Amino acid sequence: MNFIAAALTFKPIVSILYERNILETTVYMGQLLKDVAFRVDALSAFFIMIICGVGLLGTIYSKKYLEPYIEQGKKLGSHLFLFNVFLASMLLVVMSQNIIFFLISWELMSFSSFLLMIFEHEEKEVRQSGINYLITMHVGVMFLVVGFILMYLKTGSFDFSAFEGKISELVFAIMFIGFGIKAGFVPLHSWLPKAHPVAPTHISALMSGVMIKTGIYGILRMLLYMGKPTITVSYCVLLVGLASAFFGILYAVAQRNYKKMLAYSSIENIGIITTGMAVAMLGLAYNNFIMTMFGFLGCFLHILNHSIFKTMMFFNAGAVYTQTHTKDMEKLGGLVKPMKNTAILFLLGSLAISALPPFNGFISEFLIYIGFLTSFSTQNYFLYTIIIAAFGIIAFVGAMALIAFTNAFSIIFLGSPRTEKAQHVKEDVSIFMQLPIIVLAFCSLVIGLFPQRYIDLVVAPVQQFIPFSVPYELLTVISIFNITLCVVILIIIGLRALLLRGRTVEHRETWGCGYQYPTAKIQYSANSFTRPFLGFLTPFYKRELNFTQIKELFPQKTSFKSRIIDIFEYYIIKPIVIVDEFIISKFYWIQSGHTQRYLIYGVVFLIVAIALLIGGKI
Amino acid sequence: MTFLTVLLLPFLFIGLINKMKAVYVGKQGAPILQPYYDFFKLIKKGEVLSDTSSFVFKIAPSINLACTIVAAIILTLLNFNGDFILFSYVLALGKFFSVIAAMDTGSSFEGMGASREVSYTSLVEPAFFIIIGSVAALSGIHSFRNLYALIQIHNEIVILISLLAIFALFMMILIEGSRVPIDDPKTHLELTMIHEVMVLDNSGVDLAFIHYASAMKMLLFSTLIANIICPQFWWAYWLVLLVIAFLIATIESIGARIRLTHIIEYTFVMISVALIVMSLVLLVMHGGHIA
Repeated sequence: MNFIAAALTFKPIVSILYERNILETTVYMGQLLKDVAFRVDALSAFFIMIICGVGLLGTIYSKKYLEPYIEQGKKLGSHLFLFNVFLASMLLVVMSQNIIFFLISWELMSFSSFLLMIFEHEEKEVRQSGINYLITMHVGVMFLVVGFILMYLKTGSFDFSAFEGKISELVFAIMFIGFGIKAGFVPLHSWLPKAHPVAPTHISALMSGVMIKTGIYGILRMLLYMGKPTITVSYCVLLVGLASAFFGILYAVAQRNYKKMLAYSSIENIGIITTGMAVAMLGLAYNNFIMTMFGFLGCFLHILNHSIFKTMMFFNAGAVYTQTHTKDMEKLGGLVKPMKNTAILFLLGSLAISALPPFNGFISEFLIYIGFLTSFSTQNYFLYTIIIAAFGIIAFVGAMALIAFTNAFSIIFLGSPRTEKAQHVKEDVSIFMQLPIIVLAFCSLVIGLFPQRYIDLVVAPVQQFIPFSVPYELLTVISIFNITLCVVILIIIGLRALLLRGRTVEHRETWGCGYQYPTAKIQYSANSFTRPFLGFLTPFYKRELNFTQIKELFPQKTSFKSRIIDIFEYYIIKPIVIVDEFIISKFYWIQSGHTQRYLIYGVVFLIVAIALLIGGKI
Repeated sequence: MTFLTVLLLPFLFIGLINKMKAVYVGKQGAPILQPYYDFFKLIKKGEVLSDTSSFVFKIAPSINLACTIVAAIILTLLNFNGDFILFSYVLALGKFFSVIAAMDTGSSFEGMGASREVSYTSLVEPAFFIIIGSVAALSGIHSFRNLYALIQIHNEIVILISLLAIFALFMMILIEGSRVPIDDPKTHLELTMIHEVMVLDNSGVDLAFIHYASAMKMLLFSTLIANIICPQFWWAYWLVLLVIAFLIATIESIGARIRLTHIIEYTFVMISVALIVMSLVLLVMHGGHIA
């Protein structure tokens, strides 16, 4: 086991070294090793691989991405320093096996990401989202602290290894919420769609591609020590997973800010990952180990895949933002002409993220589906009902992902430019910004075409949970089909080229039913594209309409605004905040602003403390 | 055998439907082979491309056709665990490209069609998966073969399940093939169409590919139904295809298309049928009557 782990960590360690060389940072990890347990097992190594891979690409990407800011005269020193702190803290989180040190690195991770996020802190929106993020993270930490205190009381040890088999349902639930806030489970996700759009792209890529996975890491770590989960817990996890997937992608469809759309799509993917985990947990609970195997394989592979294609999509989004300076899809359009390479890469990313073959996203979803199917060998009717329903929901989520990403791709890149912002784009981003995206696109395609080879990346962490033999035959079949698909596509495209050879191919304006003077404004917008679909899911979101009705005979000017509101934020988070504010407002008098009064507080505190001390002694 | 049928005869299927429709209204109608003539005529032509369009518009019809062919290979030639997942996702890939190709022209009509297409077909996949998932739970086989094995189980409720599954699949043919009552292949009024309006700007070889792919898609779902009803005899397969063509022609002759805003109700009927299949499966398994 250790040998596999060592073999696996070889690569990550190389890349850590590689990274240090590039960045010339002081990511130095030896000092704390002495007093704190610090193990890298297969589970940690898997996450280290992701952190290092995405971190490296993010570094390359940020160089060009930040250039315009340097020209504006922005100081980048602290930003780059914090970037390294952030990477290091994530590595520490997945490596440290000690309660205190884990929490320190966890806090360091939250705090450094907060500071990185408010890079453009001059803007009010950025500061607001930043504070929101910081507070939400600390609510999460509170749960973690409670969970860890309970564990400490039970085991009397700060070391994780003492938890083995001692994690109760209650602790797991508390931890699940604590880690879930970081991971962005519905309904704890409200920070995510606020934080990602305001952060600089390489940071949102890292946050979405990697950081939220540390939440999943925490849950998996707890699961590892929990041993056999109970049936109820497993169903709850399944429910959370399905809800996150469903609501995440539903709100992704409704967004017109493309970075927000990607943030919601992260929630969806976290939901799919959690669904895979839940399938595995159900397998453990019902002693159906084949199911566990497929569930975990799907879960881990999707963690890897999501970090690949989500990073890729954020990088693409950043490329669009650098050229157009707007995050609003409705203001774009027609970018495929000046930014052809970015368009192709965005298209590949969209295909991968919609889990379509022959890309990597399909492989992991396929494994989760197979996990569902293998549950049918357990004789339990309740399980059947839930699994078949989950089957349908995940299929629906797939269909919605298709809507979300066809929408994003076509509104941003296709058609003709909707505003001047899109018209003025003359050239694509530099090759250095595209290089990391090309690498990721390549990974995504290669994993999709040869899953039987790359499944080995996730085998070791899964084998920590249960021993199994890898289903290579099934993956080989998928691999053959994916390759066939590519070959057939190439043949047909070749056939088309052959048929058209020597024939006239004319270019005319788009058919407008005889109308000769179309403008860019009559194109379908993102809002109108998704309207019929969202129309029949009205119970699941809240639409705020704001428009002035036409009253006079000769109306002068009218406007129409519509906004989709997250129901979880509106019905759950908002009331909590209001109640909280009300309670806290009762204590305002304590902080009066008079130094004299604060001195009295100090004196009173001292007297009480001394009295208690003396009283305790006697 | 089935593969060759699906590959070569989709236009015959369409031609048959058109002929039957013509006979229904007392016309002589175009020859049954007319779709073939159209196809070869289009194949010989050059193309007119929109100024607004990009590479997406050029490759999308070919990719769509390729996906349909691969789906045909999956359905007819091989059997493996989870083949229906691959089948449905490969078709989704084709749909992805046909949608972005429609959006590529920047035409509001095509945008309309694309938007409707993704909205109305979004419930096909879940319904399909719920049905196959339920039947997989019943038969313990995790591929298309579970549907074929259904008829061998002699049990009253199982027959009911097969009938409902067939009904839902038939509804899927009408949605995926854009037939009445969802969409009318005859109409040429852009505002009311779904599939036809998405391909307004395609011409020549691309249009031929699109027609071929959509005809093949219909034949694929029909093949699925035929295999459920009678997987053993080859003549039964042809008979079932004939019956399906007849049914489609009948529906198109005697019925009108439903209003766009009501299509969603139709798709929810499909989902409900799928859920009924699921509950019946659970009933059968719980009753222990399974042979």
